[in-house]
Amino acid sequence: MPNLHDIERRISSVNSTKQITRTMEMVSAAKIRRATERMEASAPYSNSMSEMLANVASRAAGSDNPLLQEREEVKRILYIAVVSDRGLAGGFNSNVLRHVEKDIKAKAAEGIESHVVACGKKAISFFSFRNINLEMVFKDLSADPTVEEAAAIAIKAIEGYANGEYDKVVLVYNHTKNAAEQVLCEEVVLPVDTSNVSTPADSSDDNAGESTAQAIAADTIFEPDTEAVLNGLLPAYVKTMIYHGLVDSAAGEQGARRTAMKSATDNANEMVETLQRFYNRVRQGAITTEINEIVGGAAALEE
Amino acid sequence: MPSLTCDIVTPAQLLYTQECHMVVVPGEMGSMGFMKDHAPLVSSLADGIARVYSDASTVAQTYALQGGYVQVTGEKVIILADRAIPVSDIDLAGVQAQAAELESQIANLAEGSSERALLDIDLAWCKVQEHAVTA
Repeated sequence: MPNLHDIERRISSVNSTKQITRTMEMVSAAKIRRATERMEASAPYSNSMSEMLANVASRAAGSDNPLLQEREEVKRILYIAVVSDRGLAGGFNSNVLRHVEKDIKAKAAEGIESHVVACGKKAISFFSFRNINLEMVFKDLSADPTVEEAAAIAIKAIEGYANGEYDKVVLVYNHTKNAAEQVLCEEVVLPVDTSNVSTPADSSDDNAGESTAQAIAADTIFEPDTEAVLNGLLPAYVKTMIYHGLVDSAAGEQGARRTAMKSATDNANEMVETLQRFYNRVRQGAITTEINEIVGGAAALEE
Repeated sequence: MPSLTCDIVTPAQLLYTQECHMVVVPGEMGSMGFMKDHAPLVSSLADGIARVYSDASTVAQTYALQGGYVQVTGEKVIILADRAIPVSDIDLAGVQAQAAELESQIANLAEGSSERALLDIDLAWCKVQEHAVTA
């Protein structure tokens, strides 16, 4: 039987942990709003971009832009793994990282070489621990992804793809389905698949997208010409896609952390309750024993 | 008065949206002006300045732009730019200092490296801003 003091100490330790998790939950809840705002702010650009590209691409069919060419034989894949800098977000990081690791192993078995770009400290430590070479690393940016970061990744991917260093570029991140739920999302960045360009931008929201959709009519003029516009548009589109992934993941990180911290707080509450009950029982047991001893002693004296 | 809506959008945010009379943008093959009921057009843009006219003779707002596209429909002009800043917000001394800093960094990097490509873009952006203020 543990003594009362031990239980008391455990209760206070669980309580202080609870305080931390509750604070983290509230901090994340506040950050979700900011992250969501940023996602919404980037929506007009990516929507217009997708609309434009879909339209230009359908007009410039048969273009020989290298970014559109699908390689017949895929020998080298570049993975862009987007996770966070910090843990304590439930399965947020490990979902992405495990998925990438599994993919790399599966591809290695097929004789396909994999390269990784890691965004977020967790990805860096995960992959370097497993001796997987990183082509490029980004840290301290997961909560505040910048357009520059996306641009740097995009340039790397595009150059590599055009030079034949990579045959395929895949972006893996957590898509924020809603504030409480994230789904693992794998998108092929390169080659650009123009048949479904409008999917990454959430087609459900805002009317700006709709108005441009009907607005790009059949008689649109392209300057200097469709080909030139397309060539310029593709890299920008790749960049937008990557930026969208980063921002989406940043919002998801906060959501995941809030959910994780909420369940941790709930757990702590439950634990404190159980411990408190145990404490009371032990105390009552001690009192009962003591009374029994006194009564027993008194009875012995009377005889 | 007939008017059209002008949106200036960067990847990070919707920077500006305003009813206006005319928009002049730096097209790749020279400046282009758009008024209401212009034929639908998509064009790539050169780095330079976009002017938004509130009426025939007043420039309501000027923006320095880098790398982008313009999409014109009858009632709307959407400028998609990699970077944009209102000319009035440019800090000339700061930009010049940054340009000098970037130039010295670029000098230390190998030709053709991807770091250098990034810095070149930054430098070009400084030049655009500088030009926008002094022009």
